[in-house]
Amino acid sequence: MTSLETIREKLAITEPWVESRGAYWLNPGPSSVRDVAAVMIALGARFVTITAYELPNGGGFRLEYHWDLTGNLLGFSFVIAGNSIESIYDLTEAADWIEREVHEGFAIHFTGREYEPLLLRPGDKLGVNLKEFSASAAEAPSQKEVAQ
Amino acid sequence: MSYKIPMGPYHPGLEEPYKLDMICEGETVRDAELHIGFNFRNIEHLAETRNYFQVIALMERVCGICSFIHTLTLCQAMEQLTGLQPPPRARYIRVIMAELERLHSHVLWAGIASKLMGFKTMFMTCFALREKVMDVLQAISGNRVNYSMNRIGGVNRDIEDPHSLLPLVDALEGEMMRTVIPIFTTSSTARSRCAGIGVLTHDKAISCAVVGPTARASGVNQDLRRDAPYAAYSEMQFQVPVEQAGDVRARLFVRALEIIESCRILRQALTAIPPGEVSVGGDKFAFATGTATSRVEAPRGEVMYSVSWKEGSRNPARVHVRTPTYANMPAVRWMVRGARLADTPLIQASIDPCYSCTDR
Repeated sequence: MTSLETIREKLAITEPWVESRGAYWLNPGPSSVRDVAAVMIALGARFVTITAYELPNGGGFRLEYHWDLTGNLLGFSFVIAGNSIESIYDLTEAADWIEREVHEGFAIHFTGREYEPLLLRPGDKLGVNLKEFSASAAEAPSQKEVAQ
Repeated sequence: MSYKIPMGPYHPGLEEPYKLDMICEGETVRDAELHIGFNFRNIEHLAETRNYFQVIALMERVCGICSFIHTLTLCQAMEQLTGLQPPPRARYIRVIMAELERLHSHVLWAGIASKLMGFKTMFMTCFALREKVMDVLQAISGNRVNYSMNRIGGVNRDIEDPHSLLPLVDALEGEMMRTVIPIFTTSSTARSRCAGIGVLTHDKAISCAVVGPTARASGVNQDLRRDAPYAAYSEMQFQVPVEQAGDVRARLFVRALEIIESCRILRQALTAIPPGEVSVGGDKFAFATGTATSRVEAPRGEVMYSVSWKEGSRNPARVHVRTPTYANMPAVRWMVRGARLADTPLIQASIDPCYSCTDR
């Protein structure tokens, strides 16, 4: 827990950590994704992954960055109105593939890095929204009713 | 003069859809580029079209080796969203299945590694042992690959006579101790093919954030079963093997020692399994709006699921899966640097890569 408080202090965040369904969450406030990454790396945290969510009605995206610190899963959520956010690849090379995957799957641009080659699919299009791409390629299969 | 040697996606030294472009000078690999995605299935977005029963069956098919682990991780996340707690007996059954799957995976890997070393006798021995593990899995679940054991709130099947499985665990452990582990750890064939090759330094293991036996073989002491226990692992006594060398031999040692620890956990769980129900919650589930995350120590390392739901919906709003191979595979680039070209199939295999997981 001391480490969690250290993270708050280093990022100058007054809001408390919130434990919710498998992770500890901290609202990063004005801290950038690179500020958070720098603090986490300095404390010896292990980068786990980025989970991307497309917000409804063209409201942008929410990116959840997950880090492991001594067995605790720590989450930081960043909402982006447009489609770009700073890359942390130069701070932790573990972020390379997931940034490329999110770029290909959600058309989000991670600034300050290059992407080639395409990670998931052969082809020459970068920044394709894979969800829309797959939805247009084939209709979702019909599903059985859940037993009532 | 340097030249590029492509290995994969169709190659006898790499029998899965993945490509390693190696930049060589003579017989020495100077650098490598990794390419995945040849069999990408877009399972995460497919999951959004499945209801809470169907999504379990879908996610069981992310991986053919650790299919139980994937449904366990998913169900743990869904249990957090439904507020259901699996009963104690179900938590023990989950430990038993997870450790049997670890044995299955590690013995399968030992067989593949033996084949790549040119040690065909050991390959046959390992696969014979793997059959015995799969026989136990089949005896419990009725299936040999996709076990359909996990459900929201517990497991689908009970283990009616857990003590009857103890002789099978003893036989497996005996065979490992008599044959597999001594040969792997002492034979000159294994030593000459594995020692000092494919080194991943401790610092590089940290910066690449590798997980599982790949991390533990480079001196990174992490294991979610101990550090963030789930199911009934907090009630089990076991050691986490860690090696420092970071080479292929260290990865082999770590898995060999984990086999012994898995047998130890299995014996404890089969002996101490409590009586009672194996599931709660019936067939109808009410999900709360929000996101839940769950992590499990799979045979290859940490699996993480992030599952989002909207109240009243039958389908998940989002399922994100971070598989261990996805974290480990980029490190292969550093492992093959400076290696002999002939060693690269064994080096890439030493992380026990799962291309099915990676191309989820």
